[in-house]
Amino acid sequence: MVRVTMQLLIQTIIDGLLVGGLYVAISIGFSLAFGVLDVVDFAVGEWVMLGAFMGVASRAWFGIDPIAFLPAVFVIFALIGFLVAPLIYRVRTSRYARPALMALAFTFGIAMFARGTMMTAVGFDPRTVDTDLVSGTLMIGGLHLPWLRLAGFLFAILSTALFMGFLFFTRTGLAVRATAQNKRNASLMGIDVKRLSAIVYAIYAGMTAMAGVLIGAIYSFTAQVGPQYSLLAFFVVVMAGLGSVGGVLVAGLFLGMLQALVTVYIGADYTLAIVFGVLFLILLVSPQGVLRRGLAA
Amino acid sequence: MSALAVSDLKRSFGGIKAVAGVSFDVGVKEIVGIIGPNGSGKSTLFNLLSGTIPPSSGTIRLLDKDVTHQPAYRIARQGLGRTFQIPTPFINMTVRENLLAAAVEGEWRSARSRAEEVLAALEISHIADDLASTLSGGQQRLLEFGRVQMRDPQIILLDEVTAGVNPRLRQIILGRVRDLQERGKTFLVIEHDMELVRTICERIIVMDAGEIVFEGTFEEVARNERVVDAYLGRPET
Amino acid sequence: MRARGANSARLTARSVIPLVVVVVFLATLPLWVDDYWVRVWTGVAMWAGLAASWNIIGGYAGYISFGHVAFFGIGAYATAILMQPGLDWNFFLTLPVGAVVAGVFAFIVGWPTLRLRGAYFAIATWALAEALAQLVNTVDFTGGSFGLSTPGNAETGFFYYAMLIASALIYLIIFAVFERSRFGYKVKAVRDNEAAAQSLGINTTSVKLQAFVMSAALPAVLGGINAYWITFINPQSVLAGDITDQMVVMALVGGLGHLWGPAIGATVLYLSSTWLSANFGSSTGYIAMIGALLALIVLFLPDGLVGLMPRARNMRLVRQMLRLPDRRADPGPDSDTSRERS
Repeated sequence: MVRVTMQLLIQTIIDGLLVGGLYVAISIGFSLAFGVLDVVDFAVGEWVMLGAFMGVASRAWFGIDPIAFLPAVFVIFALIGFLVAPLIYRVRTSRYARPALMALAFTFGIAMFARGTMMTAVGFDPRTVDTDLVSGTLMIGGLHLPWLRLAGFLFAILSTALFMGFLFFTRTGLAVRATAQNKRNASLMGIDVKRLSAIVYAIYAGMTAMAGVLIGAIYSFTAQVGPQYSLLAFFVVVMAGLGSVGGVLVAGLFLGMLQALVTVYIGADYTLAIVFGVLFLILLVSPQGVLRRGLAA
Repeated sequence: MSALAVSDLKRSFGGIKAVAGVSFDVGVKEIVGIIGPNGSGKSTLFNLLSGTIPPSSGTIRLLDKDVTHQPAYRIARQGLGRTFQIPTPFINMTVRENLLAAAVEGEWRSARSRAEEVLAALEISHIADDLASTLSGGQQRLLEFGRVQMRDPQIILLDEVTAGVNPRLRQIILGRVRDLQERGKTFLVIEHDMELVRTICERIIVMDAGEIVFEGTFEEVARNERVVDAYLGRPET
Repeated sequence: MRARGANSARLTARSVIPLVVVVVFLATLPLWVDDYWVRVWTGVAMWAGLAASWNIIGGYAGYISFGHVAFFGIGAYATAILMQPGLDWNFFLTLPVGAVVAGVFAFIVGWPTLRLRGAYFAIATWALAEALAQLVNTVDFTGGSFGLSTPGNAETGFFYYAMLIASALIYLIIFAVFERSRFGYKVKAVRDNEAAAQSLGINTTSVKLQAFVMSAALPAVLGGINAYWITFINPQSVLAGDITDQMVVMALVGGLGHLWGPAIGATVLYLSSTWLSANFGSSTGYIAMIGALLALIVLFLPDGLVGLMPRARNMRLVRQMLRLPDRRADPGPDSDTSRERS
């Protein structure tokens, strides 16, 4: 009896970690977009949703396997992101009205627009992304590790590593980090903050859409699934501290685990409430990271 | 009783010691100037005094009451007023509304008449109904200065209050400062304008790299070598 | 030509006459229009009140709440639960209960989040609404996903006047508290520049909290009336994110932080949506539309429709454009100090 329970626990934790990897992939771009653009992008979940639908479309329209189509997904959404970013930037740096709040409202608006359009276009039927390239389950010591989830986790690690590499080993990445730390000084040093914001946002949109393809392969989804993932991204980033990239890794994996544990041991219906409860406690207790970035000065 | 007493005040940001052990006293009705090169910690000092940021260590006493670690609004209620280096007007309100808003935590019934008094004293009655966002830089500084007077604070911190202000407006501000001093107010003034410092400050504190390097009258300060070093940046010995 | 204060709704002869016309129109509506239109205007009244409540925290206090439907839903469920057979409360007595419960929730959620930047508050309120909707869907005494019914024993006219009076009272309260009182100055000061407000002795977190609690209690009352009116509620109908979305857009489209902005936005948008569903039957299209509208308004008309009105005392837009060359020298208050509370 004890062995079975232990095995269930480990299985649950591993499942959670695997999914957590994807949460990290979504949140890292999101966190950095916040750092550079200074806007909480309420459309993050919609990028996931749109990516998932693109995963479906890749087979339906082009006959290409979704996983093979990933690079194209990146390019497509990076392009869209690159076009949207200047608008966000414009709102965020406008001289009147309340720029930060307006930018928030703006991203909320485009999220609604994306959601409403997709709902009208494809209806409410749940779908999944179908891939042949990855299937089957890896069995290790009694644990079930579906290759699809492992692929998702590997993708997450890879894209996160690439992203970190870009940040820490390229000149543009250095400019991004400098800007995230201090926009005013960055522009005084000759960094074109506007263009940089567009680049960061484009990468973030592309990455998040790719993650969406994989999420769509693991879980079924509808056009309304956006807000759920936005909430998860927010949770990760709040826990890590808005703008902090390092903590996102820990927080994302933690969230995946928390969600899996709650689903298995309490019930899937309570996941949101518990996530919210934990979020609330974090904001209440305010670990240094959150508090330092959250308050004035 | 001293108006403001600061003891070994320190504040670090990560590895940077913005304020590295500052101690001084300001007596009632004194006008003390704080000068120093950019980055010497003057604005951080003001932020510590007004409670905008908490100190890493040290104490602050306001009118003999320990106010260290109190939040900004509490310290303000105990008699401290301040202006900001970059003016902070309430942009969606008119000039008059700005002044009224500044009085909310003070005497409300006389607020209207006091606002008129301040408007007249600063000679800005003609723009009283203009939105604060439409004011010129100089007018915004006047408003900033007017606002801080609405609650009649005992100690006023002025952060470069006349920067970029034309000579006439500057005279108005100085005149008002002197008036208020006569009524018993104490001033701590950050300034880069040496003429102004010489005219109005009885005592000057010179800061550099988060520390106080000299205290004295304007003549003493002008003659002092360490001060010259601080401004011209002779390499550290 | 001076730029006068935008948000001081002064009582001049010119502003009273349209007000009187509107009041007479609304008060006598059921006498000269059929049931369908009475119901439509009941909806307008409700949304005008909802948008105005949201405007308290969003427009006057400057903190965007993305989960405001939670309070509407709390009010709806409070009334529905208390009117169940077995409890049989009087309808009017259920309303304050909903308001109090909503206020308590607001206090609990607001307390840790309002001292932080607006982004945290937006996220936390949003999470609250989503979590609440999921919980209500699961738990028994709320009827779960099956919902709850309320007695259907009142007339269309009753609901029209109930909603109208409730909304009118809301506007009256907002006018008294935010346009004519000391507290109104406090809230606007906190919104416009929190650092400056603090340096003037204002306990900014407390002010925000009070505004938030007020903004939560008011829509709860409307939620209660709504629950009684539509005779059946479930999480989809009273706790859906789309309801918050509409509140936000109505306030923004009409004019943020302005007394009548929400009323204008609500009227325009609700009548449009009614027209759209009557002619095209699609409600998802409506969501896409208001999303696009929100984005466009933020881009091109951040002051909302009130900014377009000829005699709106808000000439700020024109003034800003004229003065722009002067102001470039000044880094401007927005970029530095208001970053802290955004």
